[in-house]
Amino acid sequence: MTSKSYMDEMIRSELAWVVGDEYVQTNDAEKLGHSIDYYWVPELWHDRGQKLPSPDFVVHPATANEVAEILKVANTHRIPVIPWGGGSGSQGGALPVYGGIVLDMKRMNKVLNIDPVSMTVTAEVGINMQHLEWTVEKAGFSTMHFPASISCATLGGFIAHRGTGVLSTKYGKIEDMIMSLEVVTPTGEIINTLPVPRHASGPDLTQLFLGSEGTLGVVTKATMKIHPIPESRKFHAFLFKTMHDAMVAGAKIMTSRLRPCVIRLYDEAETAKLIRRVLGIDKQGAYLVFGFDGPEQMVDLEMVQACTICREQQHEDLGTEMGQAWWDHRYKFFYPPYMFHLPQAFGTLDTVATFANIEKVYWAMKNTVKDNFPEATFIGHFSHWYEWGCMLYARFIIDEPPQAPQEAVALYNKIWDMAIRAAIKEGGVINEHHGVGLKLGRIMKDLYGPAFKILMDIKRVLDPNNIMNPGKMGFPGKGA
Amino acid sequence: MHIEQYLDVIHACRFCFMCRHLDPVGNVTFRESDTPRGRALILDRVRMDRECLKNPDFIETMYRSALSGANRYHCVSHYDETSLVLAARRDIVEAGLAPARVNTLAATLRNVTFVVKGKGNVLYFGEFPDLYPNCTIITGGDPGKALEVLGFVEDSQKIFARFKSAVDRSQCKTLIVGEPSAYDFLKDKLTGIKVIHCSEYLLSVKVKNRPTRKAVFLESDFLRNYCGNPSWPRQLLAQSGYELVAFGTNNEESYAVGEEAVVFDELNPELCEKLCRRVYDLTDDIKKDLFITPSQYVKRTLAKYNSQIQVITLEEAVAQREDH
Repeated sequence: MTSKSYMDEMIRSELAWVVGDEYVQTNDAEKLGHSIDYYWVPELWHDRGQKLPSPDFVVHPATANEVAEILKVANTHRIPVIPWGGGSGSQGGALPVYGGIVLDMKRMNKVLNIDPVSMTVTAEVGINMQHLEWTVEKAGFSTMHFPASISCATLGGFIAHRGTGVLSTKYGKIEDMIMSLEVVTPTGEIINTLPVPRHASGPDLTQLFLGSEGTLGVVTKATMKIHPIPESRKFHAFLFKTMHDAMVAGAKIMTSRLRPCVIRLYDEAETAKLIRRVLGIDKQGAYLVFGFDGPEQMVDLEMVQACTICREQQHEDLGTEMGQAWWDHRYKFFYPPYMFHLPQAFGTLDTVATFANIEKVYWAMKNTVKDNFPEATFIGHFSHWYEWGCMLYARFIIDEPPQAPQEAVALYNKIWDMAIRAAIKEGGVINEHHGVGLKLGRIMKDLYGPAFKILMDIKRVLDPNNIMNPGKMGFPGKGA
Repeated sequence: MHIEQYLDVIHACRFCFMCRHLDPVGNVTFRESDTPRGRALILDRVRMDRECLKNPDFIETMYRSALSGANRYHCVSHYDETSLVLAARRDIVEAGLAPARVNTLAATLRNVTFVVKGKGNVLYFGEFPDLYPNCTIITGGDPGKALEVLGFVEDSQKIFARFKSAVDRSQCKTLIVGEPSAYDFLKDKLTGIKVIHCSEYLLSVKVKNRPTRKAVFLESDFLRNYCGNPSWPRQLLAQSGYELVAFGTNNEESYAVGEEAVVFDELNPELCEKLCRRVYDLTDDIKKDLFITPSQYVKRTLAKYNSQIQVITLEEAVAQREDH
């Protein structure tokens, strides 16, 4: 026995006292499952037979009270706590880089209330998003939150990373959908944010915890908006000669204040690579698809207006069928073998900027990758559109990265460092909906400048022992 | 190792989360290792380091899988993770590493004798012979499927040979099978005899247009996700006068409480009880609703953990309408 093994058993017993023996796991199978998320680096390390940092304990709480007790245990022993939802984050945000307690939230999966009058649903945040959507649909509504990760991520995961879904242009990102939160603070107090998201009662705490990636506390319950099932949802697709022509059309649809539920624009490279593969459209140009939903008469009227805007540019009309095909296959891009996979190195350099800046951001990132990393392919699409700008979902792919894992990761990080900094310089930000996590924490100071101190101060006050997900989002690591 | 035949599955599933919401075991244990991704990760580790096959945590995880076909059916590329787990179980058994309870269960499954009675041209293998008055009946036990899913493939083949020998002795040209797991096992294995599911047979011989009764149809994972989702069971129930009501919140999940693993309840009773509780929790009114399942296993298991539930097999449902 070592002192660590003595203490491990003491801590395990304390945790088991809170949640029961069955819900504290220390076995190798669970440790392995919680040592890899959807981040490329642990995937690579696993593939190359490297040992990965793993949790000491995987704990499944059932209530906010249990979460509070677990955090008190963690404070006593100064051990890290890493909230874990579906584990499908791409930024390493849920990786237990210093060991400690992985707080797997999936047991907190109850739908507590559906309010048909206000059209809201209240649920524990460990619920799988697809399960929540199915439950809401059975009651005759929809969350309208349809991310590619709907089947794998939890509601809490979307809250942690400010996630988004395919229909964000009309229904918003998760931070627009959430009404209020229940949060367990790092020191173990259970608090509720205000019950409504529009108020003049001081700064909005709901928005503080949204996107905090488990560094400021553990979100345990959320109330979110739900919507009626639309009478009609229709799609239309165009192929433009250039990405710029398509961007002009897409921006005009938004600035004319039409209300599409979705717009997605693929650059020429991604149209040739992915649209051809998944939808079978073998043409050169930039593929643009959009959709409207709601009462059929309104959908038809808006569709006519949007198509008229598109026809002002050089285009090929692909019609409704090729638009509907995109919707029908919207998740297919993310299943193997359609998704990029090892031995390829790949990353999603997603960012967001105003319409005035977004093409500059695109070219800055693309040229950075092209000029500095000739072995990499750069593709991109613009997938979440707002009244003022849109999100760039850019990706780099290296088919044959270096064999040595350290060398491959160094190259990988360098691409991120250069490409994201190029985006920031042109008015972009680190990320639009995947979060910061372990992957991009080092760039947070560059993004925020002096304002990052405010985030650091908030972290220090809320989490004096730095137990909550240390080393993520640019916050200090354990022992720092 | 047998798992190496499924390298494509290991590589596809080890980092993929897209079907995790459908794993019946993962949905009640909340464990990462109880998902196709978790199991593929483990077997990838085993592939890289064969010593890991001895890890008792990894072995337990393989025997906790319910082998649901829902995940494979959901996957746009239909990667066959259940066959990967079966290959892992076979590797475990052949390495002499099967847990004691698995060995004990296997021993009981080897102890089977098949008996053929009657003189009809059609042979029936199931638990409701009264519905098949002019058929020859074959009885005994599991024809090898259960041993196969436990990883005892050679023993499974021996039992199957015994079953086939009994079938051959009957000289029948058609075999009607009641239990979906046996139907799945036998339909492509037996030669020289046509194998049909009982619902296909009954559909062609039973009377139509009876008064309706509402019932919840619990899909068989084998029939839906392994055998191409035939329409006969639903057609038969409709023809027999049942108005079928949708169960649960969706039509993707398997609510078959481990039917796919054939002896899941014998192997993992606590876990199986959790699968049953998930079904009970989704029930509108457990005292009033009538459940119909194609599987004796599902009926027996659901009734075991809650005596209030009214659950009958498809064959019993047909027989009840005949008595009406």
